[in-house]
Amino acid sequence: MAIFEHGDIKIEVDEDGFMQEPEQWNEDIAKALATTEGVDDLTEEHWKLVNYLREYYLKFGIAPMIRKLCKETGFPLKKVYELFPSGPAKGACKVAGLAKPTGCV
Amino acid sequence: MGKKIRSHKAEKVLERLQKKMNRQIAGSLAACVHCGMCTNSCHYVLTNPGDPTYAPAYKADKIRKLFKRHIDWTGRVLPWWVSAKSIYTDEELEELKDTVFGKCTNCRRCSINCPMGVDFATFNRMARGLLVSVGVMPEGVAVVSKDQWELGNQMGVLKEDYIETVEWMSEELENELGVEGPIIPIDKEDAAVVYSINPREVKYDPRTIADAAKIFHVAGENWTMPSEGWDMTNFGLFSGDDDLGGAVARRLYDKVSELRGKKLVISECGHGYRSTRCEGPNWAGMDIPFEMESSVLTMLRYIKEGRIKVDKSRNPEPVTFHDSCNNARSCGLFEEPRELLNLVCEDFREMYPNRTENFCCTGGGGAMSMSEYTNRRLKSGKVKADQLQATGAATVVTSCHNCVDGLTDIIRHYKLGMGVTQLVNLVANALVIPEKPVVVAAPEEIPAEKKAIPVVAEGLELIGRKVLVVDDEPDILTFISTVLEDHGAQVTTAHNAEKAIELARSVKPDLVTLDISMPGKDGGYVFETIRNDPDLKQMRVCIISGKPELRRLIYDRAVPPPDGFMEKPITEDGLLINVRKILEVGAAEHSPDSA
Repeated sequence: MAIFEHGDIKIEVDEDGFMQEPEQWNEDIAKALATTEGVDDLTEEHWKLVNYLREYYLKFGIAPMIRKLCKETGFPLKKVYELFPSGPAKGACKVAGLAKPTGCV
Repeated sequence: MGKKIRSHKAEKVLERLQKKMNRQIAGSLAACVHCGMCTNSCHYVLTNPGDPTYAPAYKADKIRKLFKRHIDWTGRVLPWWVSAKSIYTDEELEELKDTVFGKCTNCRRCSINCPMGVDFATFNRMARGLLVSVGVMPEGVAVVSKDQWELGNQMGVLKEDYIETVEWMSEELENELGVEGPIIPIDKEDAAVVYSINPREVKYDPRTIADAAKIFHVAGENWTMPSEGWDMTNFGLFSGDDDLGGAVARRLYDKVSELRGKKLVISECGHGYRSTRCEGPNWAGMDIPFEMESSVLTMLRYIKEGRIKVDKSRNPEPVTFHDSCNNARSCGLFEEPRELLNLVCEDFREMYPNRTENFCCTGGGGAMSMSEYTNRRLKSGKVKADQLQATGAATVVTSCHNCVDGLTDIIRHYKLGMGVTQLVNLVANALVIPEKPVVVAAPEEIPAEKKAIPVVAEGLELIGRKVLVVDDEPDILTFISTVLEDHGAQVTTAHNAEKAIELARSVKPDLVTLDISMPGKDGGYVFETIRNDPDLKQMRVCIISGKPELRRLIYDRAVPPPDGFMEKPITEDGLLINVRKILEVGAAEHSPDSA
């Protein structure tokens, strides 16, 4: 267990920096987490992606397939990697406050 | 003093320990002489010099004491003499878990450096299996194992989602290449190649699927992806659970058999390759009626056979290669990726140490799924970070998904600013897309001697090229010279190292074909001399050897690698393909009609 601090934000994260209590997520936390992923400014496009991940996660408790993510947001695969250079599993999911994806990632 | 009570779990662990014994494990448990050779081979020890609990021998003794106490006669008779101790409580099991899962990635670097042949990683895996059998394991391992048992793949991907993703990649590719699909056929029967992947590819990053598909398509391969049994990863290897290992492997084998596939090709994943190709048949207790191959070999074969063409100038950045522990140390797959890299990249730089002596990416043994040990992992990654940085490469290439993630973490943590990629991405990037439509369902496994070789008889494509042929066997000298001369080359020959160097300096050939083993100074010496001579270092060199293991004589030298490799026995076709490729002499244009 670790504590992530950024400005006024102080949250519990796992050793890989994913939120321990995803239900506490809010937009300020997303902005703070994004800085750890090399994204200093969350644009409208970032939010579109993050919000979709968030909604899906709240509904199903897991991260969506990249296929669903692209289909629902209308972003081509390339775009997802442009928005979050460390990819959807690590970058985008972390910012959206999801728990760390399971398996070899 | 009352007898110590043993917990139910501890009781079960000891009971099962007896059943896990085989010759390899018993030998490894008995043989340690505490010489300390393993200590400096472990990346955990090197980064935690003050902490003896990371030493392989120390970790091994945690397991060894149980073996001594309960199995080996010395410990049963004189436990105090041989440090034999039993285990009683659940807390002790938790401690053991911390060691076997949290302080070792089962990378086997200590195993290959042990003079007594102690394979620590193998019995560390056994200990993991014992703990898993009583439910003591990191949460990540439990979740993934459950998904693999219940849903057939380690990321819980549903069949329809998998198929939709594969179809999506197929469509994207059809649009890109302007051809009619499907480029990725699903469940095609009697295919020459059935392609299996890591779920990470389909769930999070399907670019590798598209890249592989592009290569298969351009090669005109008769291939397919199975709708089920497509996950070639296997958490049984990490968790030590042979039953899971067998069940997962059997799913693949059964599906390939059902489709009557000729060959199972395994995408770039170290533990998946080892589990599927090397360990799986034993776990599953099956005879496998088809061939299995790493996609690295498949791609290399396509280039060598002239089925695909690549343009290495599309990958100009300096790259280095990280050997996955499972590929290199456990499966002997380490020369082929280098051969391939030299064909598709302009600037390949070796990382030191390398091949079987390379250090772990830190993500091995399932470590990427065990967040609780991430800080330890990153700390232990200092060794890797130093290795990476010393190469000066912009990108590190690896043939393992776990290594991709492990290395990405290390690069980020130590702020190295490097990229990480796989061979499939580089090959796809260098792939020359032919203008003519590709004919799908190309020649399947044609016997080597009948293989369609582009250009032969009328070709004088080597005209004006000077080749120096070096070999101590007169027959081979004559054979190689004759073939090359028949194709227009101007050939000089040398039968020993001194003569070879002398001629290299005076003749200045475009290419040297160089035998490694020669009496007196060997080919390695000639090679290094050429590479270190400012006038000769650009000279192209193709190494010839009857013993692939001798390639180390070449690669262990701190000079740029050779331009090609050939194995004896040399065939006419093989020789011409290699020479044309190295000299970048067009040939395939004449074909395939002339074949």
